[in-house]
Parts: sequence; C-alpha cells; structure tokens
Amino acid sequence: MSIFTSAVEKPITTLMVFLAIIVLGVFSYTQLPVDQYPKMDPPYITVMATYPGANASDIEENVTKPLEDQLNSVDDLKELTSTSSENISVVALEFEWGKNLDNASNDVRDAVDKALDKLPDDIDRPTIMRMSTSMMPILVYAVTANESFSGLNKIIDDKVVMRLNRVNGVAQVGIAGIPERVVYVNLDPVRMDALGMTLEQVSNAIAAENRDVSSGNLKMGLVDYTARIEGEFEKSSDIDDIVLRASDGSTIRLGDIAEVRDTLQDITLEQKINQGTGAIVYVTKQSDANAVKVAELCKIELEKALADMPTDIKFQTIVDNSEFIVNSINNLTDSLMYALISVVIVVFGFLGRWRATMIIALTIPISLIVAFIYLFVSDGSINMISLMSLSIAIGMVVDDAIVVLENITKHIERGSRPREAAKYGTNEVWTSVIVTTLVTVAVFFPLTLIPGIMGIFFKPLGWIVCVCVCTSTLTAISLTPMLSSQLLRLRDKKADEETKRSHRFNFYVFVSMQLDKLDAFYERIIRWVLCHKTFTILGMSALFISSMFLLRFINTDFFPQNDQGNMSVYVKMQPTQRAEETGRIAARIDSTFRADIPELTLSSFSYGSEETASFTSMMSTTGSNVANMRIRVTDMDERDRSIFEIADQVRDILKSFPDVLAYTVTMGNSSTTSNTVDMEIMGHDFTATANLAKVLADKARMIPGAEDINISRDDDKPEIRVRLDREKLARHGLTTTQVGTAIRYRIYGNRQTKFKEDGEEYDIIVRLDEEARTSITGFENIQITDGFGQRIRLKEIGTIFESYSPPSIERKSKQRMLSVSITPAAGVSMGEIALAAQKIIDETEIPDALSVYIGGSYEDQQESTSALGLLLVMALILVYIVMAAEFESFKMPFIIMLAIPFAFTGVFLALLLTGTTLSVVALLGAIMLVGIVTKNGIVLIDYINLMRERGVRLYEAIALSCRSRLRPVLMTSLTTIFGMVPMALSFGEGAETWRPMGIAVIGGMVFSTIVTMLIVPAVYAAWDKSGSRNKKKAINSQYTFMSDFDAERDLPKKNN
Amino acid sequence: MKSVFIVYNQALTERVNYILEQLQIKGFTQWPLVNGAGTFGGEPRMGSHTWPEMNSATMTVVDDELVPLILKYVKSLDEVNKENGIRAFVWNIEQTV
Repeated sequence: MSIFTSAVEKPITTLMVFLAIIVLGVFSYTQLPVDQYPKMDPPYITVMATYPGANASDIEENVTKPLEDQLNSVDDLKELTSTSSENISVVALEFEWGKNLDNASNDVRDAVDKALDKLPDDIDRPTIMRMSTSMMPILVYAVTANESFSGLNKIIDDKVVMRLNRVNGVAQVGIAGIPERVVYVNLDPVRMDALGMTLEQVSNAIAAENRDVSSGNLKMGLVDYTARIEGEFEKSSDIDDIVLRASDGSTIRLGDIAEVRDTLQDITLEQKINQGTGAIVYVTKQSDANAVKVAELCKIELEKALADMPTDIKFQTIVDNSEFIVNSINNLTDSLMYALISVVIVVFGFLGRWRATMIIALTIPISLIVAFIYLFVSDGSINMISLMSLSIAIGMVVDDAIVVLENITKHIERGSRPREAAKYGTNEVWTSVIVTTLVTVAVFFPLTLIPGIMGIFFKPLGWIVCVCVCTSTLTAISLTPMLSSQLLRLRDKKADEETKRSHRFNFYVFVSMQLDKLDAFYERIIRWVLCHKTFTILGMSALFISSMFLLRFINTDFFPQNDQGNMSVYVKMQPTQRAEETGRIAARIDSTFRADIPELTLSSFSYGSEETASFTSMMSTTGSNVANMRIRVTDMDERDRSIFEIADQVRDILKSFPDVLAYTVTMGNSSTTSNTVDMEIMGHDFTATANLAKVLADKARMIPGAEDINISRDDDKPEIRVRLDREKLARHGLTTTQVGTAIRYRIYGNRQTKFKEDGEEYDIIVRLDEEARTSITGFENIQITDGFGQRIRLKEIGTIFESYSPPSIERKSKQRMLSVSITPAAGVSMGEIALAAQKIIDETEIPDALSVYIGGSYEDQQESTSALGLLLVMALILVYIVMAAEFESFKMPFIIMLAIPFAFTGVFLALLLTGTTLSVVALLGAIMLVGIVTKNGIVLIDYINLMRERGVRLYEAIALSCRSRLRPVLMTSLTTIFGMVPMALSFGEGAETWRPMGIAVIGGMVFSTIVTMLIVPAVYAAWDKSGSRNKKKAINSQYTFMSDFDAERDLPKKNN
Repeated sequence: MKSVFIVYNQALTERVNYILEQLQIKGFTQWPLVNGAGTFGGEPRMGSHTWPEMNSATMTVVDDELVPLILKYVKSLDEVNKENGIRAFVWNIEQTV
C-alpha cells in the first residue's frame, strides 16, 4: 500500500505521526541556542610573546625568528606570518580549513617548547591562542570611578572578575587601562657612585631580605614547633629600612640612596571614558558556549557585584553583542512570521477557498519545524543564516502541496467522494511532485559541499532547504491527501453560477473571474510572441547582455555591515610622538566628537601601549603615537542617522586635525573584512624594500579606481642606539649581553622579587632615578661594573647615537614582508585592480634580492569566488542531469535553463535600483533562484510536451499550455516573492544582513518569471518546429505491411 | 456494428495501434497483458518461467464496412512473421447505450 493510501485510510495514525514531529520540533526549538552566525572555527593559532623593553628589530631577531623556525614545521600549516613590534612578537599560523585545531594547538605547544631554549631568559612564556569568533568580546563595559580609581584594579579583580569568571561559559575577563600597583625603588646614581654600590647589589639585597625561610622543627618537651625565619616585607616602607652596608660604624640604608615609592605603575596605556578616568572590562566566551546565554548570566552577576561596590564606580555598556543578536534574531523571526502570513494570503488569493488554504498553510510549519529538529541533531543554532534559509524555504514548501491539492480538487469537482479523490488524485501527481523536489535538491545539495569559510554560511543553508523541501514533499503526499479527504467538501457548481448571475460578491467567484481574464490576456501575448520569435529571442538576449554591463556599477562587498550602534576609531599620529601628547590630541578629538555628534552616548579612548601582552594588544594596534577610540550612539529607533552616516562625520572631524596622520573607522564589533589588493614585497633590507614600496605606491596611485594606497610598515621610529667597542669590552672583561642586561636593569628595571599584601603580589622594580633616564647625558653616564669589579660609564665603552628603526616588522613565510595595499574605489572590482597591480610589478625593475607578489584579501576573495563559481557550475550540471532524465531529452533542459541568466539580470537590476551591494548574501539569493526558475520552466515545458504528445499542433499546444500553466507558475513565484518581501522591507537591527537577499530574490524572481513565460515558449517553438512530427514519420515508415493502404480510396465514405 | 477482438503477442502492440490509427478507428479497449495459447500450433503465452512471453488483446467496435479492412491488415501483419502470432475474431453487437 502506498504512503498516500495508508495516510488516507488511517487519518488518526497520520495525524499522530505529524503530531510527534511537531512535538520533537518544538522540543528542539526550545533547546537550540541563539547566535549571530553559525559556529565557525577559523583555523588560526596565534603565538604571542612579550619581551618588555625591546624594539622591533630585537624582537624579530631574538623572539620571532626562533619561534618561527620551530613553528614552521607544524603539520598542515598554510601560512606563517608574524609581526614584531615594540615589546611584542605575534606569530600567526593559518591552517587549512577543517583542520582539527586541538591537534594543531598541541603541535604548536610542542614547537614553542622547543623554541623556548633559544629565547631570551627573562622573556615571559609565549601564550598560545586559538583565534575564533569567540575571541571577540561579547560584553565590553566602561568602568568609571572617581575616589576609588587608585584601588579600582583590586576592586574589579575581587568583586567583578572573580564573579564573572565563575559564570558557565566565560572564557576570559580582561581589564584594560587600569594601572597596577607596583613598588618602585629609584636609585640615585650619584649617591650610589659615592658609596660604591651597584644596582645589582641593591636588587639582590632586596630580594635576599624579602623572604620567609622555614628552618625545620624544634622539639621542646611534648611540643613540636616549626621554626621560621621571617623577612618578608609587611609594608612597603619596610624596604626603606633595608641595611645595605654596615661598616665603620655607619649604616647605609636603602632609603639613603633610593626613593621607594609604593604607587601605581607608570602606565603606558591610558584609558579615558567620557573624558574621565576609567577602565575597560572585556568578557569573552568559550568557543562552544552560547553568546546570548553567557551574556545574560554575566549581566545578572554584574548586577549582584555592583551592589557591594563603592557607589562612585559605574559600569556602562560599550558593546553588548548579545543584545544585538537577540534583537536581530527577533527581527528576523518577525520577518519569517510575516512571510508565512503573506504566503498564506497569496495561496488564498489563488485558491479562493479557506479550507484548501488551511490544508496548504499547514505544510509550512511542519516543514520548518523539521528544520529545527535537523539543527538540534546537527548541533546547530538559531542564527541569521539558518533563519534566512527558513525564509527561503517558506515559499517553496507550499508548492508540492498545491499541486496535490489542485488535482484532488479536480476529482472532487467531478463528483468523486473526497476520500477517493484524495487517493486517486495523489496517485496521479506524486511522481511529478517528487521530481520537482529533486530539482530543488539538485540545486541546494551542492551548497553543502562547499569548503572553507563560504562553507560555513552555505552549508546550513543547503541542508536546511533540502530538509524542508523533502519534508514538504512527504507532507504533500501524506498529510495533504489525508486532510483533503477529511476537510474538503464538494462545491455546488450551480450555486456558483447563481452568484455569478446575481452579481452578489463572492470571493471565490471574483478570484476565478479575474484569473480567467489574466489567463486570456497571457494567451494573447503568447500568440503574438510565437509569431515574432526571432524578435523576442534577440530582444531578450540583448537585454541580458546589456545587464552584464550593469555589473560594473554594482559595488561588491563580502558581507553586509551591521548597524550595531558603536564604532571604533583608530588614529595614528607622528611616530616620534610621546604618549602624553597623543593623549592630549586624542582628548581634543574626543571633545569635538562629543560636541558635534548629538547621538553620542559614550566615548572612550586609550593611547600608548602596554608592557605586557594583553587583550588590548591582541585586539588592536597600540603604540605611543596611537589612540584607539570607541564611540557608542543611541539605539537605532532613537536616531535618524545610521551609524554609517555618523562614521562619515567622524571621518570629517578626523580630517580636520593636522596631527592625525592616518585613521580607520570600524563599525560594530568585528574587524572589517578588508577588501584590498596587496603587493607583497619580500626582502630583508629595510631601505631597499621601503624604496621599492614607495615606487610601487606612486605608480599605484596612477591606477584609475585605486584608493587609499597604504604602505604597511610605518615610518621609522627614533631610538637611541649604543654601539659597543668590542676591544674595550674585552679589556674590561665584559660581553655585549652583560652590558645589555645591565643597561636594561637600569632603565627598564630589575624585577627580582615581589611585595605581598592581602594575598596579592606586586612587583618591586629596582631602577635608576628618573633623572638618569630622561636625558642623553644621564644615559651616557650610567655606570656598570666591569669584569674586574671596577665601575665604568657607558660612554667609555661605546658610542651613543640617535637612529631610526621600524616600529614593526612583518614577516610572511619567515621572510620580511612589506605590503602596499590598494583599496578599490566604489564600483571598481578587485580583479581589475589586481590586473593593474600585476602590470605595475612587471614594469618596475625589481632588485635581485627582492621579490613581489600579489596577495591580500584579493587572494582570499579569489579562493571564495572560485568556490562559488564551482558551486554554480555543479548546481547547473546537477539540475541538467535531473531534468534530462525527467524529460528524456538533451534539448529540453537547455530550453528551461535559458531562463537562469535572466534571473541574474533581475538580481543585478534590483541591486542597482536599490543601491545594494553585491555580497555573499545577495549571491546566496541568486543561487537559490537557479532552483526556483528552473522549476517554473519545468512546469511549462512538461505541459507543452504533454499537449504535443496528445497530438495538438505546436503553436496551439504552446498557447494552450501557457494559458493553463500560468496560475501554478504565478503561484510558486508569488509565494517565493511574498515570502521575501518582509525581509526586503525590514529595517531595524541586523536587517542589513538579510535585506540584500530579499532584494536579490525579489528582483531575480520578478524578472525571470516574466522572461521565462515569454522566452521559453519562443525558444521551444523555434527549436521544436518539426522534431516530433518527423520522429513519428520515421517510425511509421518501417511498417511495410500496410504499404498498399490508401485512406482516400479504401476507407468507407462517411454519410455526412 | 461488429466487435473485432484482436489478440497478439505484445511485441506487436505498436503495429496493431498503427493499423487502428491508419483506419481512423478511435474507440477501442485494450488489455495490455493477457495469458493464452493458440489452437493451431501457437505457443502458450503464460508469463511463467516455462512460457515467458505474454499476449495483448484489443477489442474495437466498428461499422460493418471496416471489418474486412481490419482483417486484411491483421492477416498481412501475421504474414510478416508467423511466430509472433496475431488473430482477430469478429462478433455481432446487439445493443449499445
């Protein structure tokens, strides 16, 4: 017994099966996490090492190189890049997509361990970080405090960080901009000189005093005592009293030659919030935790924490990703609901009967709910991509049910009982229903095979649409006949005729009359087209070709940007500038922002760089000449301007400051997906590469459509260098390392021991007094002890001069790299720029030691474009295969697929008219059009073939089939179009992401539906003129046994 | 009005349809698969392992004048290859509604 017979015979069983599906679906829905995008694990691992006090070249030589040498041998490594800048070395490893990162990070750890021997002794252990989207903070708070600022670090650490770290799913809570408490011991060089003491001695003395030593057990009588020698400092002033030397009756205490200050670190990264002092608190989540849930829990914890904190400490939200996610997902869910309603309205408009509409509308929730089961089973989440996939599916899932229901209705109108009509009606169409589904699956299944970053977006889409469409087919051949048998009633035709005559309004009668008119109108057009085939075909081809030229005017983008209500601004100033000056200018910029941007609710900025590798240095570039600013504006519905317009104003403001050398304004929370073509210059020599870069950059400025030409390496930074005289060194029994370390201790400070208080540890930093560190003379006169215990000054053993060095050194594949990046202007494709860039490289004379390649995001985009192209080809081939098999013809699929290019024409037109950029999302819409457009063609061609086989003459067959197939085609197209309308029209949070898809699909659908309905009949007529008739003649000519028959002569004459 | 019952090896189906088409006979009833065996040397057509072939049968009700034509071409079709086997039987139509 077939599925539909069983379904009709056992309505309760059928109902229960679907009820079970719904129950499972609702359960899955409640369990599904909410997220912005599908989970992605970018295959990047970053190794970060800090070596405080070293400049870029030192870092490159001493830290980056040894690390790179070991890391290069890690398996499956795609690319190894590194940046060496002041204090920090960052080595980034890119793996092939799909690489198991757990294994990779183990390999990386091993490699780092091996490299550890070759790294400088006092370097911190390199940290290994897995970059993933979860690295991006989900919550960023600005913390302001007045009286409590000095203790802020400890307060936040104790009250907030502790609490938040306990929250399930929180990976890291970071604080930036709060100075840490340290104890400085600033030695006076003159007094030290007089007493003949060295910094090392003082430092050792402090370390030696600051200890508790347990000294074994003492047994006295019945009691067992442990003996302890206590020396650890109880308060920082204890350090003052350390006796350095006691001889000749005089005691020299530390306080005599040094100033001990228990204070805040002379921070180099300063944070200002709303023009006051403050700090930034970041919360990141573990990669498998759910952002929304974690953020919610964190907010609850924070509320509790705030209750027992000093009242002057205030927390303000800068970034709350979860809020944006929740709002945008709600927005999209609303669109989905509107889509459902509009699809139901379209169906009702065509059928005119509410019972039938009900039956069809029921397939929508069932198909969608199965998608939730799929998501639950496959460990997915409710995100923008999965919801967009559902809205694509919404218009498609009703198609099968409509076909089945129409046929059942036909039988009922002939007088069959609904039960019989349901059985036989379904039997007649169920194979064709399955074939059309196969076509859709043929288009969407290849999406599930895309590798790489594109795969993350397309895979869920492919699976969800396939799952939905297959479910809808199953529903259409089981639930739909069952419900039809139960709900449909025989319509009294006579009554309808009556209403028609009596002019009383009846929706069903009205609709059928209007549709009849439309059918007749369309038939007239088709008959005209059939007489003007060449004109039609040529006209359409011209239209398509001209639309290809439109492509130049459409801007491309990888992923649409969202208006999340915040932006970050990176401002670069003179490389020689002191952090204090940077801060002063940043404050002026900040006040201009606050004065000129009425929407601004919060502004914060930080400048300078931190000593230790921290969150901030991971997320943004820091430096003494760099200010990072964040601006938060009011919620979307409370302002008229979009964040993009505000960003333009911000750019204008920045332009008016002459001190600002370069700036970037980034919207939202994520780093922008850049779209640059990079000319990568590989070579060791700084000057040679820099010169070549300048030459290339100058030439690049000549390229039409090239904007923002940037050289990746900043101008050199001034530094004071010491060149030691090796002969003198040898005479003094010193080595460069010894001198280097000694100088480092005197300027940067020696941190041998820690001061403990209340369970917290603070560094004790021993260094020279500020005087010796702020002038060249002071620096020259720094004393060190030579190998024979004699004291010498720095200037005696070397020359001191001012010099310049690059602030950061980039390397790629273990070679120094310098890139000249070109941003294509609006409307210029990256490909054009890349071609022009290649030409420049070919024309320029490249020195032997250097080599130049084209790279940058152009390279990445090429990869993804080729993946998408491959996908499109694969989809086309699969669609062709399915159709060729269905029609048993090589020719028919071609005719049907002719409509596909016009879908793209429609997409381009729609994008151009609405000024939308061509992004991955729009492309996604374009690809799904392939499926829907071919479906329309199939419906049409199938019926024409049928009529032809029934012996109707060609033109007549085409005209009649077009007339009778107009309604189903319009219905499937309109359901898809109206399913997308809410998405195309929606605005609000997150709408930027899905609007292009709605626009693309609507444009493509409207255009391709019209074109399909005209060009397919025309091409069919032109192509199949005599084909079928000749085939029949050829077969008949083989039958020779009737060769003597002549119809005219032999057949008996009819009487009439 | 006469009824002509034509029974033949199913391999001849297209040719029998051709006869009907050429003689402009529109109405017919067809049994695509029937079992049977001929009286004079015709092989059994049982669709079994022993006799795997099958027959088809077509019945058409026509005006008396057409009967000789049908029989003529059935015979000529039979002449092409005796092994296939095709027979036609004619009987009277008493009443129709």
